[in-house]
Amino acid sequence: MIELENISLKYGDKEILKNVSITVQDNTIKAILGPSGVGKSTILKLMLGLIKPNSGKVFVDGTDITSMKETSLYNIRRKMGMVFQGNALFDSMTISQNLGFFLRENLNLPLNEVNRRVAEQIQFAGLEGYEDQLPESLSGGMRKRVAIGRALIFKPHMILFDEPTAGLDPVSSKKILSLISSLRHNNNLGAVIVTHIIDDVFSVADSVAVLYQGEIIFDNETKKLHESQHPFIRSILSDNILEL
Amino acid sequence: MQDFFLFSVRAFATIPKIKRYWRDFLDQTTICGTDSIPIVLVSAISIGSLLAIEVGNLLEDFGAKTMLGRSTSISVIRELGPLLMGLMLSARFGSRNGAELGAMQISEQIDALRAFGTDPIAKLVMPRLVAALIMFLPLIALSDFAGLQSAAYMAEHYHRLDPGIFWNSVYPRLAPKDFVVGFLKAPVFAIIITLVSSFNGFSARGGTAGVGRSTIKGIVVSSGLVLIANFYVSKIVLENM
Repeated sequence: MIELENISLKYGDKEILKNVSITVQDNTIKAILGPSGVGKSTILKLMLGLIKPNSGKVFVDGTDITSMKETSLYNIRRKMGMVFQGNALFDSMTISQNLGFFLRENLNLPLNEVNRRVAEQIQFAGLEGYEDQLPESLSGGMRKRVAIGRALIFKPHMILFDEPTAGLDPVSSKKILSLISSLRHNNNLGAVIVTHIIDDVFSVADSVAVLYQGEIIFDNETKKLHESQHPFIRSILSDNILEL
Repeated sequence: MQDFFLFSVRAFATIPKIKRYWRDFLDQTTICGTDSIPIVLVSAISIGSLLAIEVGNLLEDFGAKTMLGRSTSISVIRELGPLLMGLMLSARFGSRNGAELGAMQISEQIDALRAFGTDPIAKLVMPRLVAALIMFLPLIALSDFAGLQSAAYMAEHYHRLDPGIFWNSVYPRLAPKDFVVGFLKAPVFAIIITLVSSFNGFSARGGTAGVGRSTIKGIVVSSGLVLIANFYVSKIVLENM
């Protein structure tokens, strides 16, 4: 379980997050919805301890990680897999090397176990035959699946997705969303999805928090979003798009 | 400044993990060591040859051409050899560090390392630092050798000076402090070039233009610091030996 408690964050004079509290239960999919540039990705980085808030606390499985040292955070971070918006694949490594990289780096696993897990993720992501290709030779959807495979290879409890369908064509988007849904049903994984696409929220999320002007203006089950009377939520529901 | 200091401390503090990042270290020894040999040779040969020609012309006016070996060897070993090598490596090794790490920063690859539990400074900076600390020394030795050989060649073929006379004025007169000054600059330059360029790479923001800006900043700052350090290392050693 991940909890953000009264988080405030400033970059210089700009207040990014104001007293934000969010809870993500295990084995559920939580979406964080909001326009571009309001600090949604920042919330994911706070959950991983990649950045520190100015005030408030972040708990992962009940452990306060807010003031933890970087070296202590590494074990906490391995409970979560992160899929970056631009995938953040290592462009000089093949797909297999990308998938196995962190297993080789951080876990003292025997080579045959690393190879077994890599093969498992290649199959899961439907990338058989592409093992020795570089990321640049794959389509956007395939790269996203490699990034998801890399996040899954540690067998985390929770996966964090930063704009998982941004920049993808409709078919690839649908495949990625169905992959995310299957993670919970088949692997008992929880997920946090940061997105500005409201259709993605209704497709996969159990609950949604709406971030607007640095504040959470809605945090409830996805189906209850329609009941909200907040003008911003009414406007996005009517326009179905969040390019603000 | 404070961030750079902490970054540097962390880079040194992770040196005990070198065994874990042995392969990265070996890659970096090739990049900053063997791959840098051509540029070091070119700069050393050009500086040795030019010094021999210019200093030889000057000494000839005073009838002191036999001192050519002494004059050029001190310049090559103590000052211009290490300095030019430092500037060349700042441009070659420093720019590579800045651009590579900057590109990794803006494409979130460095965040990915942290997110998946790998210390990016231990993985990316420390192997570069250790490789530079080790490889800059033989590069300076090579630079000294090539610089002196080219000076001797020019002394013989341009100034018609007997090689025996040239080398006789080199060896007996070179003092240990001449080598200390020159070789002490290797680790100092290695630390400056690696940490400044890597820090600027890690600080890259704002897309590909940001990578360009951080790379240029890394080269300019490290080159400036190499010039300043060159002066102070010489001053401190020569005043105390």
